[in-house]
Amino acid sequence: MLFLAWSFTQIVCAQEPINPNWDAQKIKGVRQFPYPPYEGTPFLTDTWRPGKIEFTTGEVADSVYLKYSSFKDEVVYYNKAAGAQINIDKESLNGFAFADTDGRNRLFRKQRFDNSSKGERYFEILSDGQTALLAYRKVELNVTSAYHDLNGILKNMAYNRLYQFYFYSPEKGYTSVRVSQSGLLSKFDSPLQRPIKKLIRKSKIKIDSEDSFIQAWKIVEKAGYQVVF
Amino acid sequence: MLQKIIFILLVVTTISGNAQDKTNLGFFTDRDVYVSGEILLAKIYSPTDNPSRIVYIDLVNSSGTRISGATIEIKNNEASGFLQLPDSLSTGTYLLRAYSKNTVSKLKIIREIWISNRFDGLKNTKQLKHIAGSQTIQEESTPQIKFEGVDASHPTNSNVTTTIKIDEMLLKEIDGNLLISVAQTNPSFESASYIWTSDQGKEGLTEKKGIILSGIVTDKKKSMPAAGATVYLTIPDSLPVFQYYQTQDDGRFYFQLDKYYGSVQAFVQCFGKTTAQRLKINMDELFAEPGNLPDFSQQPISDEFKSNNATNIDAVTFQKVFSQDKLKFQPSPKETFESYPYYGKPSNIVDPHLFIDLPNFTEISRELLPGVKFRNYNNEPTMQVMNAAARDYFNESPLILIDGIPIRNLNVIKDMGTQDIKRIEICQSERYYGNLRFPGVVAIYTTKSDYSRIPDSDQFIRLKLDAIQAQANLAEPEKSEPDIPDLRQTFYWNPSVEPQEMLSAKFSTSSILGKFKLVVRGRLKNGTMVLAEKQFEVK
Repeated sequence: MLFLAWSFTQIVCAQEPINPNWDAQKIKGVRQFPYPPYEGTPFLTDTWRPGKIEFTTGEVADSVYLKYSSFKDEVVYYNKAAGAQINIDKESLNGFAFADTDGRNRLFRKQRFDNSSKGERYFEILSDGQTALLAYRKVELNVTSAYHDLNGILKNMAYNRLYQFYFYSPEKGYTSVRVSQSGLLSKFDSPLQRPIKKLIRKSKIKIDSEDSFIQAWKIVEKAGYQVVF
Repeated sequence: MLQKIIFILLVVTTISGNAQDKTNLGFFTDRDVYVSGEILLAKIYSPTDNPSRIVYIDLVNSSGTRISGATIEIKNNEASGFLQLPDSLSTGTYLLRAYSKNTVSKLKIIREIWISNRFDGLKNTKQLKHIAGSQTIQEESTPQIKFEGVDASHPTNSNVTTTIKIDEMLLKEIDGNLLISVAQTNPSFESASYIWTSDQGKEGLTEKKGIILSGIVTDKKKSMPAAGATVYLTIPDSLPVFQYYQTQDDGRFYFQLDKYYGSVQAFVQCFGKTTAQRLKINMDELFAEPGNLPDFSQQPISDEFKSNNATNIDAVTFQKVFSQDKLKFQPSPKETFESYPYYGKPSNIVDPHLFIDLPNFTEISRELLPGVKFRNYNNEPTMQVMNAAARDYFNESPLILIDGIPIRNLNVIKDMGTQDIKRIEICQSERYYGNLRFPGVVAIYTTKSDYSRIPDSDQFIRLKLDAIQAQANLAEPEKSEPDIPDLRQTFYWNPSVEPQEMLSAKFSTSSILGKFKLVVRGRLKNGTMVLAEKQFEVK
């Protein structure tokens, strides 16, 4: 939770001048081998983003340039001294955060997911509270119709974004939600759906994107409505 | 108007004058007179503006030799711990010093104590030495703390419950916890704490998180600090703890130990940029230099002191014979340690002793270790590990560990057979730990686990470290064996009592006769050290 309290205004902090050894040595990982090049991207961001990582020990390493691989659900950092891209061991992290190109601060937390494909996943925290709104930024490599890539090589696979959204409560677990007004309303008891709809309308929110969905959820949550898991 | 201004100026001057007198620190022990082989209990009120988490206490004899020490954790500007007094100490006055590394050259608190050798007693001692002419830490005796339930005398082996009443006004002024103690007092040798600022010495780093181990790597050929050397610190454990430091031009290195309590075995190694570089590691002393000492004055030894001393020597000898422990240790705080070794989760784990008996590592690697190539041509052993992702062997030698300690000399393992090895862990990937690259990892855990196979050299130091001292409480007297006499000289010691209007302390007297003192000590928000005490006799 401390992680959430980070001040993103200082996302690229200066390391202690006395000993850069101390921060750098904490990151454990394995060299990342390039993913096969297909249409689309396996990463959430195209460029290296300045960010922070929080270890399971509670320690934080900042001034790290990161990329999140949505394809493998891995965090990759660039180690300048080694000249290598390194997949940070998932076991060693609690989560990470980075500043996106549009200035958005994006926060990811490692959580156990016991629905389909059980294991630890990095979820983006879109809204945190008693019930959190999470996004699993999944990218899959699927077969597509044949195409020629930039080098003229014939290929039939592409990276496709298949983002999944969940409401999460530590006590009740996960429930998936579609990013639409009907998707949001379906997460509440039938008698409550009408007043919620009215509340959204009154707030002049039209749910047509991820951002407007988050905005609507925050208003609904603030009004005290409880998601049914 | 003028009168008003003068009055305000007077008040300000008085307040600032008072503030300068406040010491803001204190160093107290359960008693002032001890016998060698005993355990001394200590409480330190650390300066409130010191960010260090660590305070060192050490014992120095009156000629300036450091004898032993302890590393104690500061919590909320207070620290409490203990010090084992060696059995071999000769009779005389000793100095206890308390300091943090970051302020060691400016400030130490010293306290004089008397220690009698358990075997010689006062046989060869004619006079008592006392510190003369130093800056005493003044304690203000307060009438705002009152005691009930403690009479002028109490019989031996009796239970006493005392109620300590603290005035509401004082209660508001108390900063932090109180120290309550009931222990034997010896009017012939009453000690005080002193501020000692005249020592020369180098200030260390601020140990905000934990103990900082430091040292220097020198190039033996050039006799100069070695830049670019990599220094490893390994603490063998079920999961070995590892840190590294790459030296700069000054050749210095630093490691932080923040999660270890009690005695810790550690290994420090250094490696140069090339294998031909010959290096030497020197560790810095964990404790400060003894430095110069205060002046002492001499006093004759009184008969009362002699008689008390003889009783105490008998008591301590008896406690030793019957193994009566003064302290009861608390479990160390559980820290979040890693869930897997720093070299990564192994891709293969092999237990060689479960297979046929193989005489050497060449055979073991050939028969039992998939993806590990160990060859010993012309007595020049080499090892390579398969890079599973690239489906090829790494060109370089992997990280090789014996019981968690990195080694580079493969001759150490070439003769190891299945009988010598408990387990081998292999990582078939290009691992990184910070800036260190491991082209595969082979971690060998031996059946003996005694680190005897690792050759000693100038580049390798075995350390037995006194990490942060484990918390301990004064042990209760043993009631299960009533025939064994109770010879405690300290009846009660609680260094962390939360101040309240009414406090209660229960203790029982022992079979030791003499004068005892109930003392309550604390620090006020303005830095003044206060105390209230009541003396009683055990008859």
